[in-house]
Amino acid sequence: MQKGLLEGIERGETVLEARGITKRFPGVVANDHIDFEIRAGEIHALLGENGAGKTTLMNILFGLWQPDEGEIYIGGKRVIFRSPLDAIELGIGMVHQRRKLVSAHTVIENIILGHPRAGRILNLKRAEEEIQELCERYGFNVALRAKVWQLSEGEKQVVEILKTLYRGAKVLIFDEPTSALTPPETKKLLASIGAMATDELAIIPFITHKLPIVLAISDRVTVLRHGKVTARLETGRVTEKSLAKKMVGREVIFRIERTKVEKGKPILQVENLSALSDKGFLALKGISFSIREGEIFGMAGVSGNGQHELAEVLAGLRRAEGGKVIFEGKDITASSILERWETGIGYIPCERTEVGSIGDFSLVENIAMNFYFDDSFSRRGILDYGKIRKRTEEIVSEYDVATPSLDTKAKNLSGGNLQRLILARVLSRKPRLLIANLPTQGLDVGAMEFVRNKLMEARKEKAAILLISEDLDEILSLSDWVAPFYEGKFMGIIPGEEAKRESVGAMMAGLCLEEQET
Amino acid sequence: MRIGSYELKIEKRLALAGWEAAIISIFAIIFALALFSIIFILAEINPLLAYREIFSYAFANPYGLPLTINRFVFILLCTSAFIIPFRAGLWNIGMPGQLYAGALGAFAVLFAFGGKALPPPDLSPAILIPLMLIAAALGGAGLGAIAGFLKGKFNTNEIVVTMIMNFIAFWLVAHMIKEGGPFMNPGGRGESFELPPSVHAPLIMGVPFTVFFALGVAALLYFVFAKTKIGYQIRAHGHSPAAARYAGISPFRISLLVFAIGGAVAGLAGYHYFAAVPGVYKIARTYGYFGDLAFYGIICGLISLGNPLAAIPVALLFGGLSIGGRFVQGKLQIGFGVDYALLGVLMITLVAFQFFYHYKTAWVKTGEKKLDVGVYR
Repeated sequence: MQKGLLEGIERGETVLEARGITKRFPGVVANDHIDFEIRAGEIHALLGENGAGKTTLMNILFGLWQPDEGEIYIGGKRVIFRSPLDAIELGIGMVHQRRKLVSAHTVIENIILGHPRAGRILNLKRAEEEIQELCERYGFNVALRAKVWQLSEGEKQVVEILKTLYRGAKVLIFDEPTSALTPPETKKLLASIGAMATDELAIIPFITHKLPIVLAISDRVTVLRHGKVTARLETGRVTEKSLAKKMVGREVIFRIERTKVEKGKPILQVENLSALSDKGFLALKGISFSIREGEIFGMAGVSGNGQHELAEVLAGLRRAEGGKVIFEGKDITASSILERWETGIGYIPCERTEVGSIGDFSLVENIAMNFYFDDSFSRRGILDYGKIRKRTEEIVSEYDVATPSLDTKAKNLSGGNLQRLILARVLSRKPRLLIANLPTQGLDVGAMEFVRNKLMEARKEKAAILLISEDLDEILSLSDWVAPFYEGKFMGIIPGEEAKRESVGAMMAGLCLEEQET
Repeated sequence: MRIGSYELKIEKRLALAGWEAAIISIFAIIFALALFSIIFILAEINPLLAYREIFSYAFANPYGLPLTINRFVFILLCTSAFIIPFRAGLWNIGMPGQLYAGALGAFAVLFAFGGKALPPPDLSPAILIPLMLIAAALGGAGLGAIAGFLKGKFNTNEIVVTMIMNFIAFWLVAHMIKEGGPFMNPGGRGESFELPPSVHAPLIMGVPFTVFFALGVAALLYFVFAKTKIGYQIRAHGHSPAAARYAGISPFRISLLVFAIGGAVAGLAGYHYFAAVPGVYKIARTYGYFGDLAFYGIICGLISLGNPLAAIPVALLFGGLSIGGRFVQGKLQIGFGVDYALLGVLMITLVAFQFFYHYKTAWVKTGEKKLDVGVYR
């Protein structure tokens, strides 16, 4: 093993280069002769929809997979990674989207975990000083002696970054760096990334959505589509629209047209509702709100503040500890899940693969999840699979679900296609109340646009919609009511027209309106 | 793996057709028999001769074939009893207990109708046999339902519960049939009273009618899983309890149901062996042996991947080999448990060959020499 290939590299020199990377999987070419190159001190974003081959390329650059063809060069020398360990040794660091930290350990312990110097005897004091220095240099602010479980998502990400920096990474790969952060956290992270770039580190953020981020921080952008590089651009010369076009392959509408919809009678009324989280903490602290026909109630907040629990209580999957849920005038607080489906409540869960679909079931069987109980789809206990298949056919063609056949297993669908299928399945029941829990999370621009338009269509058809989202832009562009949610409570319920980005963003992070004004 | 300029390529299968699974299983069986022939060779016996003896006794001999069929019926019922909860993602390890409970149920009916009396009373088979079947099913269902209830209500591990229930049922049978027990054989001997000849299960071409029961249950199950609402609910729960619950399927109802029905089918296996197999007609002293035999239901269920129809040939093979293996052991004077050893090798091979259910393999010619891993200078 040869270390120090990147020692003494100058700003502007190429640190990492991939030539002709090709990786095939059964039935698909995930990476088709991809060339990619990054220089020291540069932020070079990799952009692409889900299924464009980003993850594959990332795993290859990080040594998790071997390319079928193509070569990787570091500091001009050809390298082959047998495992991520080789990549780490050579100065490549990865900041994962799903944090890989030991939550019962302190920040320092996590950072030095696996560090070669932490072989047998731990010199925590020296490590702390060194890490503190890194923090100061790049503007990170995290309590080094705190246990990881006490940290917010943003702070955990900082720990991951520090961990890779402390191991001496010269090239940092970020997987969706801002996807779980609040707007203020995002701002801080971007500043730190900027500081790292001026310090001659090379930074590669991988991004599916949130195009503005790309524009804000990167020097260059490489766009992938269907496993191929479709564009390589200087960021100064592109707009959000042109990037999206390169990514999706067609024009994408960013502004959703919001038509006036006559507001009808209240569909959902929630009174003083409280519920526990899985860990037994009070996740909902006595909240009240109501949604009328044709309204989208946008609940803005970072995951983990109790939105998920609310969605589950409304869908009947979680017991309410106190308070009332009234649907079309009837108290349904104690109704079963099935009763709620039957009376016109539809739930789109955020766990698409674990809850929203059954991976080993065919598309037809997945569609049956919302119809098997319907009398018109069965007779004397025997399911009318012919009819369910027909419904599936309609859904697949109307919602443009890309699939080889109706008998394909759901686990072989891409994330965007699976979400289309779930959305279509729930919407085709014509629910009076739709609970959409993070409906566009992790989707690419094309699928995201599609889902949002479908929600607007349902609104036009007089459904009451509870939209739970972390994406503030999504909430602001779709909602009739904007309700920032923080630690089990609404920080306010604001009419859509009056909601301002900055104030809602601050409220998502727990600041009250009054506090901001003073 | 490389041999010369050929490389073994392993690719994940996206789908597995039924016939592909069947061919893989046949190869597995041939492989297992070839592997086991080493043991025959070591014992200085021609393996071809040994296999011919085993198969001809098990499947073509007027004495052996009925034995095979009786055992096949028993194993197939136990397999179905395993498969029903298995398709719901739950593990029934309690077939022995459930079949004991079934046997006790059937003999309780006889006992209530005075079947224990000597000389054997003349009872009406048209009334008693259906009653015995129902009681056997109810007995097994009752025992199974306990595990299902605990699983559904408290998420108690069903494997542990069903396993423990086996012990309870085993000693319950001992209590009932041994000295002083109500079902005790008047002659003692540690077995139950004998079935009055009037209510022996009717034979059709030399085999008890329960063979149609076993085949019927398998076919019915196949239909239930493929076509019905409840079958769909069970399968959904089996693949993802969380997704099933989201779709409005009650986990409690499913686990109670599958264990009750699975137990009922195992109860019928108890009826079959102790009240329908010619020459038994009582809860034998060696009933524990049949309890152990019930565990073949697990392996048959796993090999057939939970498909009730595919379980039929698998159960037939296991039934036949256990009979033929025992026979050849006496005939060729081999001094060890050939039947168990053979079944063991077969099980391991079949399970190992499931690799091919998930992966396709092929030898491909490689072009250039593969690069060594490492960092290039």
